[in-house]
Amino acid sequence: MSNVATPAFGAPDFDAVVVGAGPAGSAAALELARAGRRVCLVERGPYPGAKNMYGGVVYGRILDTLLPNWWEEAPVQRWVTRRQTMILTETAATTLDVRNEAWGRPPYNGATAYRPDFDAWLAQKAVDAGAVLVCSTTVTGLLREDGRPDGKVVGVRTDRPDGDLTAKVVVACDGVNSFLAKEAGLYPTVDPANYTVGVKETIALPRDVIDERFGVRGDHGVDIEILGCTGDVPGGGFVYTNLDTVAVGLVLSLPELSRGDQRPEQLLARLKAHPAVAPLVEGGDVKEYSAHVIPEAGFDMMPELVGDGILVAGDAAAMCLAAGIWLEGVNFAIGAGAAAGRTAARAVQRDDTSAAGLAGYRARLESSFVLADHRRLRDAPHLVMGELAQQKMPRVVNGVVEELFTVTNPDPKPRLRTILRRQMKRHGVKWRDAVKDGLRAARTFG
Amino acid sequence: MLVAACVKWADLRPEVDPVHGTVRSTGRSDGFSEADRAAVEVALGLAEGWGARVAVVCAGPPAAEAGLRELQAVGVDRAVRVDLAPDQPSEAVAASLAPVLSALLAADVVVCGDYSADRGSGSVPAYLAHLLGAEQALGLVGVAAHGDDGVAGVRRLDGGRREDVVAGAPAVVSVEGSVATLRRASLAATLGAGAAAVEVVPGRPDPRAEAPRTEPWRPRARHVAPPEGDDALDRVVQLTGAFVERTPPRTVELEPAEAAQAVLDQLRAWGYLEPPGRPD
Repeated sequence: MSNVATPAFGAPDFDAVVVGAGPAGSAAALELARAGRRVCLVERGPYPGAKNMYGGVVYGRILDTLLPNWWEEAPVQRWVTRRQTMILTETAATTLDVRNEAWGRPPYNGATAYRPDFDAWLAQKAVDAGAVLVCSTTVTGLLREDGRPDGKVVGVRTDRPDGDLTAKVVVACDGVNSFLAKEAGLYPTVDPANYTVGVKETIALPRDVIDERFGVRGDHGVDIEILGCTGDVPGGGFVYTNLDTVAVGLVLSLPELSRGDQRPEQLLARLKAHPAVAPLVEGGDVKEYSAHVIPEAGFDMMPELVGDGILVAGDAAAMCLAAGIWLEGVNFAIGAGAAAGRTAARAVQRDDTSAAGLAGYRARLESSFVLADHRRLRDAPHLVMGELAQQKMPRVVNGVVEELFTVTNPDPKPRLRTILRRQMKRHGVKWRDAVKDGLRAARTFG
Repeated sequence: MLVAACVKWADLRPEVDPVHGTVRSTGRSDGFSEADRAAVEVALGLAEGWGARVAVVCAGPPAAEAGLRELQAVGVDRAVRVDLAPDQPSEAVAASLAPVLSALLAADVVVCGDYSADRGSGSVPAYLAHLLGAEQALGLVGVAAHGDDGVAGVRRLDGGRREDVVAGAPAVVSVEGSVATLRRASLAATLGAGAAAVEVVPGRPDPRAEAPRTEPWRPRARHVAPPEGDDALDRVVQLTGAFVERTPPRTVELEPAEAAQAVLDQLRAWGYLEPPGRPD
């Protein structure tokens, strides 16, 4: 006989099962375990963070309440002290460059990190608090009360032999394209237009070369967001620095990508060859190529967040914020996961994990930055992915800047409004459309 | 009766510098190789047929204990970790595993992977068989129980031929990774394995396994008596050896071995080498 103990049948195996040991799942498990609940954190990969795929920066302010002084032990690569927004055409680039040394001191602002390190660290916090982590286990479906299709969720089924796991509440943090949220009927419709695909290369370069190319020192790093680098496919790009690697990637509209004849790696190769990007990454050794689907449409694609016996958090609930100048996901996932964990813990304590008993989750999110930001910026993804921002605005901006700084002696310098009018006409931008989108942007960001 | 599987904790996907060939382990991809996992499955299968117990013995660091608990979840009854530093030679690994297998576990049949994932030579099973005084059948591509305590195996030969071999207990066999796929643990066992006990036994590291020194050779310092004399010039003359009759250069014509000996004798005479009988 093995010396491995098996849990007793009858009562639920756990108070809560959290599916997915990403930032949302680990935060939920951490809060549940701290509240004294029996929680099982189920992870599909061999270890948390096995995919190492995300857009670049972890904004850790949300961790202040969860893990005070987190920056002293979090596995950070570099603290982002320099942010750039780069607008490209085929041969030109206009860059807004912001540098702030205060972001390189406690309590810091954003950091680059390897997700295998970061996710494993956060999951270990949950385990230290009492959560049980089970890796290499895929959740394949939901268990329903009395086996009825519309019954209350009472656990999950996994791909392991005898793999049913019963619980009073299930927290679905199974990432974008959440099968659990769909099975629970929380996603009424799924529109591919709401999704993008992200591709990323991680390129090894010596640390001093990165410091020199990006103009930083020590553990300070750079995050660059790029617009106008994806050809005919709506999307954007990014470059960010780790200690001895540079990540360069693209986020591309899924329907447009599938309609076109260009593959993501071709577009990425083009970005790497751009005169503004090539000097940053050339000579490096590609260590990793990865791809991932991203829920781009934010608030407008969010599912019902609460069902009978189930909560949804993180990318599974489309909580990635893709609002042009703000590209954030990990902090929203942690915030939502923590709120889900607190709600679930309280519902278990009151012995009411029905949809009504879990309804406080949405209220928690509404009163926090998670839904407040998403609600306010709900139009931003549509603005950013629109034709004006994607195709015309980069050409107008670079055209204006080019004319502004090209000395045309003996002709006198043209007036700015003349340049602007000329460039808008050249690139087919109507004043009416510009004003309309400008007002939308003012309403969204203002 | 007890069937033991020997496994090694190693980095399955280390980073290799393409220019310098330097191998760097990140620790993220540590685990048991497919051959080792096949060995555990073979041990479980043999034990089921014989109604025997199964133990797994692992040479590795504390991080291996998580992997051993996963093996306990699939049905291994007892797990022992032999605390041994990495990069030990096969002889030292076998010398550390053998007493555990014989004295602690009294294993009748030992199953190993054909070679470890960290550039192993595959010689540990042979050393084990020698130290345990057991029959051996190595590099098997098929294994089955033979009678009540024997193992029948198929071994790969040149030219696509196969060889049937039989080993009776006590026996050491090693298997290729393709022989079997390790069964998947049930969820309940996986959850329970988190608290399963792993015994830890100190290993026997080979002192010769220490990396050789590669620093330049420096002769040891010699004691030189201080110069005598009241006058500084006299002392300097003494120290420098000026005005002292020196040994004139000489030419010798000898056979190579004798010439080498003459050079060594002269170096010793000058004090650059220790006298015979003392380590250099």
